[in-house]
Amino acid sequence: MLDDIIQSYNEAVFETDRMAALNVVDRALAQGVTAEEVVFKVVIPAIETMMSLIASDPDANLAQHFMTSQIAVEVTEKMLPKFRNSPEVVGRVVIGTAHGDLHSLGKRIVMGCLKAMMVEVVDLGVNVSAEHFIDEAVRLDAQVIGISAMMVHTAMGEEGCRKVRARLQERGLTDRIKLVVGGAPYRFDPNLYQAVGADAWAEDGINAAKVIIELIREVKRHDTP
Amino acid sequence: MTPLEILVAAIHGNPAPRIPVFCNLLDQGARELGMTQQEYYARGEHVAEGQLRMRARYGYDNLWSLFYVGKEAELLGSRDVLYADNGSPNVANFVIKEWDDIAKLEVPDDITRHPAWVETGNCLSILQREAGATHPICAYLTASTSMPALLMGMESWLQLLMTGPVDLRDELLRKCSDLFRKEVAAYRAAGVHVLVYSTPFGTPSFVGMKRFKSFSMPWMKRDLEPGGVEGIVYYAGMAPFNAVIRQVLEELAIGAYYISPMDSLAEAKAIIGNRGLTCGVIDDIRMIHWTPEETRAEVRRLCEIGKVGGRFLFGTGVMPMAIPEANIHAMLDAAFAQGGYA
Repeated sequence: MLDDIIQSYNEAVFETDRMAALNVVDRALAQGVTAEEVVFKVVIPAIETMMSLIASDPDANLAQHFMTSQIAVEVTEKMLPKFRNSPEVVGRVVIGTAHGDLHSLGKRIVMGCLKAMMVEVVDLGVNVSAEHFIDEAVRLDAQVIGISAMMVHTAMGEEGCRKVRARLQERGLTDRIKLVVGGAPYRFDPNLYQAVGADAWAEDGINAAKVIIELIREVKRHDTP
Repeated sequence: MTPLEILVAAIHGNPAPRIPVFCNLLDQGARELGMTQQEYYARGEHVAEGQLRMRARYGYDNLWSLFYVGKEAELLGSRDVLYADNGSPNVANFVIKEWDDIAKLEVPDDITRHPAWVETGNCLSILQREAGATHPICAYLTASTSMPALLMGMESWLQLLMTGPVDLRDELLRKCSDLFRKEVAAYRAAGVHVLVYSTPFGTPSFVGMKRFKSFSMPWMKRDLEPGGVEGIVYYAGMAPFNAVIRQVLEELAIGAYYISPMDSLAEAKAIIGNRGLTCGVIDDIRMIHWTPEETRAEVRRLCEIGKVGGRFLFGTGVMPMAIPEANIHAMLDAAFAQGGYA
């Protein structure tokens, strides 16, 4: 039964058909599938399948990324109140667009996937200063700062990721808080993330979730005595 | 031959001494005039002067009338712009904040009388007077399917496109398409030679092949049919679109394609063949960190692929302000040297 549900849900998500995906979930619940199974055996594996499809399917596209993320977070938010026990939180991330950058789509795709994958995400909005990124990451005890930048000058500028990196170093936080970037300029120059001092980058919003979770685990490993 | 004659020869596959070499140093114009971006973009005469000086300094073929992407949204009421002195301006306050705002959008009857067009018109007049007989003048026009991203933000536009009411989506697209038709007519009347049709939603990497056929293509037809495709260049905002070139050729008959650096130029050239002009575009974001030698090598690679059989143009993408001067010279020197047919 679960295999059919997984297949139907995946087809709906890949076709960007939100209503069909939600119907699959409703049908699954009616058939006795638990909310936990919906999230951990249907929704999260669908995101992971999309991660691998992006690399292999020439027709993978931005609309699909957006809908995968939005459907995932919508279903997860509906399922969480039905959980018998609170799920284990993977970690915490603060995310925003770089100083001077107002493009919020990439951030939204990443946030949706992370929430579905049990990562706490705090959205700092657009045009975020370096100080605000760090102050909030420290205040909230986040393991990762995510910075989205769609323009070259906001990806590379002195007020963006470079300044966040400098402040992390000044405050001795580089082992405690990792820095990840994403956005179009990094796709055109895959070495750019290193030039601006990031620990990692992601080629798209879906795979960003995987990269961020790996960084959270790295920080937690470092923190474990 | 003048640069304009060289471009016309490339389009028609006629003999010429070299390929056309296009470049876009937009925000660099403000630096050239010692102005802030806000001062520079406030007046069409500044932009014209900046672009004439950039072309004279570097020697490439074309002249741009584009102020910044987002300027078009001002024709539909957008006002606030976030300027930056190290990069391009952003639309800072979207004119569509809620779906109900779509009904309030009004496409001006005569866009050339709209205050947002006046400075563009001034810029065009100067460019036309100073160089219109010898150098190609370029304009940038946003396709109906991409204009909503400038009016409401990409996030809200995708939300409406993927989950919103179809009638509301179509009402917005009709208005954007009507604006496009008026813009393209106004640019042609002003003597523009090259009309860069910016259509990121005209690529499967944005919407997938199925939606490209059912959604993007019909709207592109609506945009282009009344005025025709003379001078139109298909450009997807640097996103790859080789997968749809055949369909665009067959259904829209556009004659020039500005290929993404993420696509294979050889594949694009093979698809387009002698049916149109293939524009090979350098990944100019990498130029920020390349050496002049690396820059020259990439130009050589592109020209060796593209110029065989003619109908080829060398062009640039976003030309960030952070590109070192030496690399701009290296790129253009190499394009003129490698693009020669002698």
